[in-house]
Amino acid sequence: MTTSGTSQPGLRCAGPVGHLLLLAGFLWVGLASSSVVLKAAAAIAAVGMGRLSGESFRGFLHGLRPVVVFAGLLFVAQALSVREGVRLLPFGPAITAAGLVSGAQMATRFLVIVTSSFLFVSVTDPDRLADCCVRAGVPYRYAFLLVLALRFVPFFRRELAAVRDAQRMRGIRTSVRGVRALRRTIRYTFLPVLAAGFGKVDAITMSMKGRAFGLYSRRTPEKGCLVRGADLAVGIAAAGLAACVVFAERAGWP
Amino acid sequence: MYYEGRQRAALRAVTERIEPGAAVAITGPSGCGKTTLCRVLAGFIPSLVTAAVDGDARLDGLSVLAADPATLAARLGFVQQDPEAQICTLRVRQEVGFGPQNLCLPRGEVEQRVDAAMEAAGIAGLADRDTPTLSGGEKQRVAIASILAMNPGVLVLDEPTANLDPRGAKQLFDTLRGLQRERGRTLLVVEHRLVPLLSLAPCVWRMDAGEVVAHASPRSACEVEALGGRTRHREPTERPGPGRVVASLEDVWVDYGERPVLHGLSLQLRRGEILGVIGPNGGGKTTLLRAIAGLTSPRAGRVWRAPGARVGMVFQHPHQQIFERDVRRELEIDGALGAEDLAVLLRDARLVGLEDAAPLSLSQGEKRRLTLATTLRCSPDVLLLDEPFIAQDRRNVEWVVERLRQARHGGAAVALVTHDVPEAADLCDRILYLGEETFLGRAEDVFSELSGAGNEPFTPGYWGTVR
Repeated sequence: MTTSGTSQPGLRCAGPVGHLLLLAGFLWVGLASSSVVLKAAAAIAAVGMGRLSGESFRGFLHGLRPVVVFAGLLFVAQALSVREGVRLLPFGPAITAAGLVSGAQMATRFLVIVTSSFLFVSVTDPDRLADCCVRAGVPYRYAFLLVLALRFVPFFRRELAAVRDAQRMRGIRTSVRGVRALRRTIRYTFLPVLAAGFGKVDAITMSMKGRAFGLYSRRTPEKGCLVRGADLAVGIAAAGLAACVVFAERAGWP
Repeated sequence: MYYEGRQRAALRAVTERIEPGAAVAITGPSGCGKTTLCRVLAGFIPSLVTAAVDGDARLDGLSVLAADPATLAARLGFVQQDPEAQICTLRVRQEVGFGPQNLCLPRGEVEQRVDAAMEAAGIAGLADRDTPTLSGGEKQRVAIASILAMNPGVLVLDEPTANLDPRGAKQLFDTLRGLQRERGRTLLVVEHRLVPLLSLAPCVWRMDAGEVVAHASPRSACEVEALGGRTRHREPTERPGPGRVVASLEDVWVDYGERPVLHGLSLQLRRGEILGVIGPNGGGKTTLLRAIAGLTSPRAGRVWRAPGARVGMVFQHPHQQIFERDVRRELEIDGALGAEDLAVLLRDARLVGLEDAAPLSLSQGEKRRLTLATTLRCSPDVLLLDEPFIAQDRRNVEWVVERLRQARHGGAAVALVTHDVPEAADLCDRILYLGEETFLGRAEDVFSELSGAGNEPFTPGYWGTVR
């Protein structure tokens, strides 16, 4: 049932096993490395890999914009909350070198984790991932939850876009300034989307049950092998990331 | 059968029998229990939807009320009303193979069934497409193919042609006829449009308020009309001549990714006329409305709207443009209404008594009337409607048609996207066909050209002569 992916660009020619290994490599960098430089480089590499894998650069960055904003907020909050060390400025808020380093650590860690997760979701075919999980022994009812969750992502995105278009056509301007405006925005934006989501959950349950989902403990597996050559190449890249962490720690990278 | 928390019975003492290999068409006004009846037969009620049910429903002697729907799946396939809501995988081929894989069939048989079902549903070319990128009609075909691949003995289809273009609808009816006559499948089809179903020689059940109130075996459109199905025999009304241009497109190109949707389209919308937009699924009809409304920017070309012109758009799915917690507030989003004005609006939209109801709890027909009423409240100069007749019974269709005529008389330019070709022929002053080729002109000229180009299903004559 799975189409061959050998002619696909970048990471897409690898399967879910390779993608999982790469994600593990990135997460290792994010969680185990104390080097801000390495973590920042890893985040940039994740974005670059997305581009090489056929993702639109603009679309990728657009999706990550709130993540970057949140990372900036993390940096500021951490820089302001750490009081140890010498103040860098004689006036204004107490900002210390330790605070800046701590903020940079936290922000880059967050960026690596989110960009690599974003990359994983972008390049991994959920159906193949679920199939891998089934072959690894996970009951298919649970493995399929992942596919369903990802099926809802474009649905919510599309519903949200449609609701925003409808707001534009009615001349409704939403705002988050003030409690009243925020409540109105939530009601006018998220409630229609959520209502659609609830309706969809019911319909999709019927659709799956109506096609014998859960009737047997097994189902016919997808076509294709679990691990391919491209997965090995991606696995080596993931191992390289892990080696970078060790090297950076030993070399004392900032 | 009572849904949880409801005082009114959704089904009342329905006692019917369907013989193997028969075709049954169910019709009736919105909310009369057609979908509920299908859900009971598919085993979804009371297994997945909480409801109090008396009596019994049997499929090949097996009680469906006590059965897990999954155990019924190989015997009965149910294509739901909203195709978008029943697709659960991310690629067409996987979606069609989902059921056979759940039946644990050998891989070779799964492949064989998937190929045959996609061929029958006319989607062989979509096998590797991502499901979220499909148009509404394409999703409908995928949903139908995914049920055909289960190879069930009984097929239940809830308004299966609602999202299909006329060619797709014809193809579906041909497929259903083949399944019934050559393979002995039993068919139960919920449809408002009965005339195209005549080729299946169905027994028609007319439902009302949860009951089957009439049975018939119509063989002609006249007999269908006597049953209360949707046919069009309206008296012609006076049409004002077209007025000034209020919006226009000049050499407009729109692409979705690498897929071109509109190719150098030019047209003008004039006050006092209704432009019908027809064509195959995925042909760019909705995109055209979005471009006129300013919701989609063209890659090239120019979209012009008269300065100060108000544009109103009624979306295909009413729930997307309902925001408030009750009907009264929904009508008042664009400004407070006096008691008298509110009463007039409610009466006009046939929503009297529902002013305090939650809009999202209304029936599809009521939601459609509400969204059109809120759009018309702003007296738009350009009124855009995307498939307003889908899942509507005859009364609602007539209500929508009357509002469009009023808008035309009021000097609005109306653009109506629809697959209901006879309705478009009856109502519209000009027709735009968006397909492999583009035709624009007076309705009779365009239909004549379409007929000459071998596109008969897109002409009203085709639907009027089907037997």
